[in-house]
This record gives sequence, structure tokens and C-alpha cells, in this order.
Amino acid sequence: MHSPEIRRRAFLAGVSAITLTGLLTACGGTATSSTANPGTPVDGGNITFLIQGYDTGWVSSKTSISSYEGNLWGQITDKLVYVDEKGALSPWIAESWEELNGAREFVLHLKKGVTFSDGTPLDAAAVVANLNAWAKGDPARGVSKVGLFPSSNFAGAEATDASTVKVSFSSPALGFIATLGYHGCILLSPKTLALPVEAQADLSQEIGSGPFKVKSWKQGDSYVLEKRADYNWGPAALGHTGPARLDTITYKVIKDTSVRTSTVASGQAEVAFNVEPQEIESLKEQGFTVGTPRYLGFVDGFQVNTQAFPTNELPVRQAIQHGIDREEIRKTVYTDDWDAATTFIQGNVPEAGDYSSSFAYEPDRAKKLLDDAGWKEGSEGYRTRDGKTLEFTLSPNPYVPSTAAEDELIAQQLKRIGVKVNLKVVDVAGYAAIQASRPPLFQTSRSFVDVGTVAGVLTSQNNGENWFNLGTGDQKLNDLSTAIASASDRESRAKIAGELQQYVLEQGYFIPLNQLVQRLYLISPKVQGVSYNGLAYANFYTAWISG
Amino acid sequence: MTSQYKRYALTRAAQAIAVVLLAYVLTFLVISVLPGDSITNSLRDPQHGLSEEEIQRIVAFYGLDKPVLVQLALSLGRFLTGELGFSLQSNLPVAQLIGDALPSTLGLAASALVIAVVLAVAIAYGAHYLPGKWAAVLRSIPALFLSVPNFVIGLVLIELFAFRLHSFTTTDPNSAAATLFAAITLAIPVSAPLAEVLIASLDHESRQDYALVARSRGLNEASLFVRHLVKPSALPTVTMVALIVGELLGGAVITETTFGRDGLGTVVQKAVTGEDQPVLQAAVALSAIVFVAVNLIADLVSPLVDPRVKVRTEVHA
Repeated sequence: MHSPEIRRRAFLAGVSAITLTGLLTACGGTATSSTANPGTPVDGGNITFLIQGYDTGWVSSKTSISSYEGNLWGQITDKLVYVDEKGALSPWIAESWEELNGAREFVLHLKKGVTFSDGTPLDAAAVVANLNAWAKGDPARGVSKVGLFPSSNFAGAEATDASTVKVSFSSPALGFIATLGYHGCILLSPKTLALPVEAQADLSQEIGSGPFKVKSWKQGDSYVLEKRADYNWGPAALGHTGPARLDTITYKVIKDTSVRTSTVASGQAEVAFNVEPQEIESLKEQGFTVGTPRYLGFVDGFQVNTQAFPTNELPVRQAIQHGIDREEIRKTVYTDDWDAATTFIQGNVPEAGDYSSSFAYEPDRAKKLLDDAGWKEGSEGYRTRDGKTLEFTLSPNPYVPSTAAEDELIAQQLKRIGVKVNLKVVDVAGYAAIQASRPPLFQTSRSFVDVGTVAGVLTSQNNGENWFNLGTGDQKLNDLSTAIASASDRESRAKIAGELQQYVLEQGYFIPLNQLVQRLYLISPKVQGVSYNGLAYANFYTAWISG
Repeated sequence: MTSQYKRYALTRAAQAIAVVLLAYVLTFLVISVLPGDSITNSLRDPQHGLSEEEIQRIVAFYGLDKPVLVQLALSLGRFLTGELGFSLQSNLPVAQLIGDALPSTLGLAASALVIAVVLAVAIAYGAHYLPGKWAAVLRSIPALFLSVPNFVIGLVLIELFAFRLHSFTTTDPNSAAATLFAAITLAIPVSAPLAEVLIASLDHESRQDYALVARSRGLNEASLFVRHLVKPSALPTVTMVALIVGELLGGAVITETTFGRDGLGTVVQKAVTGEDQPVLQAAVALSAIVFVAVNLIADLVSPLVDPRVKVRTEVHA
């Protein structure tokens, strides 16, 4: 994926952008500090949002969670529940809800008077159609389900009246309400959901109830959204429920990162998506805002295969855990806008604890662990035992491009403790093959809105994803996972989640790096009021242009 | 003679069809060798959290679980009946994706070709007639043009003309001004081989007896160039232009990306990275058709430019 050509290109692009930045500064650019006197919100104005591509299209089941398409989906659709940056849930289209029968039944009370952009009502029947689509999808029509929706115990949903929906599960589903705030669970008109996928690919057929609607679009080029004057059902948590302040948002595709950055820096557009981390500081100095929201989910890090050489040995796993200098990665590859990990889930997940001592950088301890396990330093500085070198192959996660630089640094760091890391850089297609081959360390990125998701991935119980290749072989992990999955109150579940985090880290099952920032927003100083949700997308619903 | 020409034309047409079909099959097989497919790749993003079984059910909907040869036969059958199908990535009709992108690329490539030819003629003329030192500088320009990557030229032009001189805006890359700069970006490396061939032809032709005779008749160098040298020197250049069409289509990928233009190049690039077989198949077939057609036209134009070619063609046909 990162050929020398692309790297050289990225380098040159970076140089070009930095040169431009310097020029602008030298010319005494007009940028002012965005924090100075934000003033009162005003209505009207238009923004242009530059993004590198909308390649995967508009079939919602495929692209609602995409880093790219997700930005647009968030403006034209609503969700039942709003989840804020800290993981707190609050009413949106569901103005209240009840949790009954030990989290096996839920009653959603919907806001009245909500309509889709074609004028049809967003009522209980429409919500039921959406719930069924999220839970089951329709493989016969090429529509997939929403991966994180609690489908395995979903028993059904029914509209008890025009504004009330009853949802049933065969076992406790504590994570259900949180899932309603997940970016996969966007509300679309039942008419849209019933279309064949080819028809759903047409963005103008995507009828949502959001503060904006599609005005015009040209695939691969530009997409113009206009506000709905009758919108009056925004999430109260954002402090504004009426129509959006901005008149239009134009998403414009510009592939090249340096061109996107420079276009905003020169005042020709207001927002650019995903800038180079190294440019953040100088852009901030010029008065630009750079949003680095974190999503709720797992941190950037590695799932460890406990059955593969050499991570089938506890001392090796622990040595890697203590042999990685995460602070050096944060300072070298990223900036201070990235937060250090304290556990293997992101710090804004309410149940995240501080277990950083379980993976503190302690090279001497790492060396001793390996010495004691019989791994002795060989001729080239790498450890060997019985003629076998302590080595493994690492592939950066292509879904998070900065991980290539991260893994290069990790290879150097682990060399210091005598572990040989071979890097194999692959593209998205190659990465699926790597995952299937179950390498010793597999780099992952995964968001979730409820900590219950964790229980479903660690072991192979209940069709779990078996991240560590333990199957059901670790009784303690089985018990902790089961306890989380079957918990019916949040307090006891949070306690178990804490125990689980400590255990997974101590055993070296998951090797965290830093908290993950997958979406960066470069914002002009004249754009105010941008907020971020728990899935790390910017809300332009509340944004406005200052005079 | 006429039947001979007809046979020649038919043979060339059959060759052209064979080239297009081979390109189609080859592209299909190359993409099939790559691991994964468009659907699996996008659904396997860990963010989706879908199980392998759930992914496979969607893959089956698109028929991607069938053996490669069956898929090839189905795809070829659809292509031959003029059905281009739907993109696996965006689910939009392939005809729409390509139809939307084509005018922009054709405009860019045509402008670039004109600029490249003008640039090449200017360099060749200067290299031939300017005093020694300047001629030497001009003769080294094609090598310089060839060695600077396309995207560097693009970024420098954007930096200078969009951000500093405000001659165009990067948010409107399809404007006339932006198209001009994109065309210059694409034209510069393309003009280099043209200029080199033209310089060599001019050198060769100006040493011929007829040039000497013309000079002895008192013709000045400019008239000699226009009236006598351009035509015979143009023959290898015409052949070169036909070959350059391929380069223009290839270069458009980078130029379009740098300038943020949507075009055939961008469509191909996205289809390759996304393993979007239907789109890639159609784009490759279209490019092959254009390339073959242009070369056919060049073969037909050559006899008009230089009668010597006609004789050879007739003898060998």
C-alpha cells in the first residue's frame, strides 16, 4: 500500500504544504485565533468541506460507518439516541425509553411530528423497519446487517402505537440503547430501506430525517446539502433543536492531502478532512482549529495470537508489552493531540480504567523476562533459543494509514530488547489474508458504543470472534466475558469490565499502543460551534459562520 | 488493389478486436489473482464487526463466490451484449460512472495533446535554429521534462498559480483556467519524447539534398522549415502521437488526482484500489478501444503525410 512512490509523494506533498504554511505566515496571513470572542450564533452561510473521496457510495448498510461517507450520513440522518464525546447517552428521536424485564425488553417513546425529508412521518412503523434492517439486513438483496447490533438475541420489534416501539431480546441486552447511538444505526425512510442496492446507491434516494437534505450531487466530485427549514428535533444535548444554522454544506472531493490543507489554509474552503499530524501545530499557530476527536471503542493496538510462535509464551507477550515505548510513538508519529492509552479501550468509554502499569515501558524488565525464559542474545543482537530466533512478522493496519510509521518504530524498539520484527506492509485486500492467517500480532481498529461489545470478541463462546485464539481455553476469561454479557445492571458490569481489562493486559493478550484518532478536522477560524459525537464525527448541525 | 486494401483493413479490424478482448480477459484474470474482492475488502474492515459467515452471504449475492472462469464467462457475455453492469464499490451503473468521467478526461487529454505538440514544435524549432548555446539548452529540455514527475509539476503549478497568484481555485478544478494548468502538467512530460523525435527528424531532413537545393535557391531557414522540413519530419511524430495517447490516459490518473478532477483516470485508480472489477473491465476495454482506434487512424494518416508509406503499405498488404 505504501510504495516508495507514494511515500515520496506524501513527503513532497508535506514539504509543499509546509512551504505554503511558511509563506502564508511570512505574508502576515489574515488568520486570527479561533478562540477569541466566538460571539453569538448567527443563521445563514455556507461551508465547503474537503474530503479525499466518497468511493464506496451510498448503500447505507455498507457505508454508514465509513470514515468518509459517515461524515455526510451524519448530516442527513438522525439517530434514536445521541451519544456524546464522553459516551453519555441522551434522547434524540427517542425522547425517552424504558428498560424492562432485566434488560430483555425495551420500550422506546418517540418524538412526535418528526418527518423524513420527503414529508413522510418518522413514526413507530418506520423505526421498526429500521430496527429489523439493522438486526438482520437482507443478504438476498445484498444488504448486510449492522455488525454491532445485538442480533443474536434480538427477538423482534413491534409498534404498539404510532409513537411507541417495543423491542424484545431473548437474553439481557444492556448494550441495546447505547447501540442506538452508533453510527451504523441511522434512521432512513422505510421506502429507502426497501429499495434494491443499485437504487440505494443513488444518493438522492436516501431519504433521512436529518437537519440537512441532499440538494445535488455528482459522484466522485461534489455533494451539496441544504438545510431543512422545518427541522425541529435535534438532540437536546447539543443545546439547539431547531433548524441548522448553516444554509448549505458542500462536500468536495480533493484527493491530495496537501492540496486539501492548503486550500483551507488559503481561505478557499472552510473544512478539510484528515490532515497530516505533523502539520497540526503550525496550522494551530495560524489560528486554525484542528479537531482530533476520539471514538468510543478499542485503542490502536494488537490482538495477540496465543497459539502462534512466539506469542504462545507468556514471558514473550509480557516482554513485548513492556518493550514498546508508547510515549516515543506518540511524540514521533503523532502529536500531543493524541492521548496515551491507559487500557485497551479508549479513555472516553465510561468503563475504561487506568491499567497503564501493566504495559509500562520497562525495557530492563522485558529483557529479564526473556533472559529467564531462556532467550539469549545471539550474534546480531537478536535473541535465540535452541537455534531458533525470537522473531515475528508485523503488518500495519491499512485502515489507519499512520500505523505504518508506528510499526516501523516498534520494530526498532523491540530490536533493543532482542526481538526481531519483520515488517510486511499490505493493502486492504492483503490485510484480510493476513487476518485469516492469524499472525502473532494483529493490529486492529474497532469502535463500539457499549462496553458489552468486548465480551463478544475475546473468546469463541457464543460465536465470539476469538481475538486471542484461546477458544474457550482460558476459564477466567470465559467467566469474565460471560459475566459482562449477561450482566443486567451497569454497576456490577463496570466492576467486571475493570477486572477483565487488568487480566487481559497482564496476560499480554492485547497490546495497546495509543488512543486512536482516525478522523481529523481542519477548520477555518471563521467556523464556530462545531461539536463532536462519541463516534468521532463532527456535527455541523450546530456550526455557524462568525462575521 | 482495392481488395488488397479491404483485406488489410479487415485484418487490422480483427486485430483491434482481439487486442480489446485480450485486454479484457487479462485484466479480469489479474484482478482475480489478487487476494479478496471488493465486497469482502470493504466488509472485512474491523469497524464493521461482521462475522465471516455474514460477509460470505453478501459475497454470494454478487456472485463472487463462483469459480473465476464462470465469473469471466458471465462477465464477457454481459460485455459482448453491451451490458456493463454495476460497480461493486458504489453500486452505481458502470455506464453512468464512465459516462460522467469521460468528457472531463477527453477535454484534459485533448488540451494536453495540443499543448504538448505546440511545446514540442517550439523546442525542436529553437533547438534547430537558435545559436549554439541556446540550442544546447533547448536540446537538454526534453530530458529534464521527462525526469520531473508529473505530480511535482502539478503541485508546483497549484502552489504558484492557485495559492499565490490566484489564477484558479482548487475547489473548482473543472474551470477553464484549472483545466489549462492540469493540461500543462500532463503535457510537459508528454512533449519530451515528441520534441526529441522532432529534433532528430529535423536534423536528419535538413541534411538531405533537397534541403541543400532549397537553401541554394536562397530560401531562408524559416521558410525552409515551414515549406519543406515540417512535412517529412512529421511522420515519426504522428506515430509518436498515437503512442502518446496511452501515456495521456495513464498520466491523467496522476494529474486528475493532483488537481482533484473527476475523470477516467480517477475512476480507474479507484477501481484498481477497490478491486472493482466491473468498472475496471469497462475502463480497460474503453482505453483499449481508444488506443487501438487512434493507432489505426495514425496508420491511415501516415500515407497522407508521406507518400512513401503508402507504397510500402500496398506492397506488404
